[in-house]
Amino acid sequence: MSLQLQDVHHSYALTEVIGGVSLTLPPGGVVALVGPSGCGKTTLLHLCAGLLTLQEGAMHSGFAKPALMFQQPRLLPWQTTADNIALGLRAQGVARSDARTRAQAMGQMVGLDADALAAYPHQLSGGMQSRAALARALVLQPDLLLVDEPFAALDIGLKAQLHRLLLHHQVEQGTAVLMITHDLMEAVRLADTVLVMAAAPGRIVHRHTPSGAALTRSDAMVYHDTAELLRVPVVREAFGLDALQEEERAASEPAAAVLPLPGARVPRVSLAPPADPGAAQLPTSRSRQCG
Amino acid sequence: MLRLLARVLRGLPGYLWSGWGACASLFLLLAAWEAVAAFYDPLILPDPLGAFAALWGLVEQGSAWPALAATARRALMGLALAVSVGSLLGLAAGLSVTASVLSRPLVTVLLGTPPIAWLVLAMLWFGMSDGTPVFTVFIACFPVVFASALQGTRTLDLQLRDMARAYRLPMGMALREVYGPHVLSYLFPAWVTALGSAWKVTVMAELLASTDGVGAALAASRAQLDTAVTMGWIVAVVGCLLAVEYGFLEPLKREVERWRETPI
Repeated sequence: MSLQLQDVHHSYALTEVIGGVSLTLPPGGVVALVGPSGCGKTTLLHLCAGLLTLQEGAMHSGFAKPALMFQQPRLLPWQTTADNIALGLRAQGVARSDARTRAQAMGQMVGLDADALAAYPHQLSGGMQSRAALARALVLQPDLLLVDEPFAALDIGLKAQLHRLLLHHQVEQGTAVLMITHDLMEAVRLADTVLVMAAAPGRIVHRHTPSGAALTRSDAMVYHDTAELLRVPVVREAFGLDALQEEERAASEPAAAVLPLPGARVPRVSLAPPADPGAAQLPTSRSRQCG
Repeated sequence: MLRLLARVLRGLPGYLWSGWGACASLFLLLAAWEAVAAFYDPLILPDPLGAFAALWGLVEQGSAWPALAATARRALMGLALAVSVGSLLGLAAGLSVTASVLSRPLVTVLLGTPPIAWLVLAMLWFGMSDGTPVFTVFIACFPVVFASALQGTRTLDLQLRDMARAYRLPMGMALREVYGPHVLSYLFPAWVTALGSAWKVTVMAELLASTDGVGAALAASRAQLDTAVTMGWIVAVVGCLLAVEYGFLEPLKREVERWRETPI
């Protein structure tokens, strides 16, 4: 029981957006696909969710109950939050009252109070709407959760809360998660396996395995890991970042290419989001430390 | 169902209270009518009391209700035809890009053709039967309903459609809970507009092509130069429309579009 993609290609008209992607997601695993905007992440996820038809390659899913969380909350504006959360359950044929009871329990679990559950989506804040969308997916007790950077628009505090909610649920239920994001740090924080994609056409160029279980990772570890990942030349290239200055130097004098000291301090602001031009500050601080 | 009733009853005092505003503006209109009537001969413009008295006379005579019923019957028949055919065809056309591109100019042609022209054609085709006002109402209301149904279908939210597919909503449930409410939010205002014009067009058609109904009665009062009775009929027609609008459609609209309400 796992999700397997083998050499998947996909094109929109004449433009190839995915050029040969293979990956395996085991039960209970968390895989993050990271890449710049337009590298075909969402297309890949929609292929996995069955929203797009597979054109080329093979896909096999042994998961029986997949659920998809979109980039936007996509709640029905004419239904209350509780009814929105219950939607998937009712689609499976669960009786309305039963579905509503379970939806309310799940809503409370993700931090929605009775008022929020009785309100219509437009009366909720963006964070509340994301919680409702998360609850709508989790209430189905999926064995595979497909997540399309749903927390991208939230502030870091809300993001961290929802990450914890998702991880706790994932550990408890043993849900497999395939998430896509353009935020390297988010990927490093949540995933067992981080796959970095490059664009034109979309393909996997690097695989990274963060250490330890996701819930035990400290902020320092995540920052350090992210910094490490950002030093990998193919990753920098995928995000369109300039090559590290020291990498250039390393080419001429190999002795300089030492890995960073454990616990090396890395400026935090320069890392998130990775596509930010601010990340270009990284080489300066590194070379200062090395020098 | 019980909960719906409870909600409607809870909302009733607030709704009735909001009626004061509507009443105030109607009374202002009556006051303006009274003021203008004071300057003119009753033959030109009788005052409101005169018009109401004339209307009361028609009711006592027993000619008011049958005429209103005949007019209502024709208006509702034409409206029912326009609403059902227009909604269905509009939805169907909205599903196909080609059909919506093709039908847009046709809607403009239909909307641009004056109802009186259709009336003349209808008189030639249907003579003095009920067919004439019913056809004219149908052809006047159809493009309004059709265009809204088309618009509603064309603007279906693709994101919600994908959501419905990802959560594997059965077809019936998707229609009821995802597509239906969206299309209805376009259709409902169109139906209200169509009702208003159905009522007006029927009276116009009857004036020229019927022997009974409010329109025919108006033709008779014009022939007798009886301005008070004419105004009485006008009051009756407008009163009926106001009653349907505020007694039925507006509360219905509030119930259907409850989710649009602003945050409490």
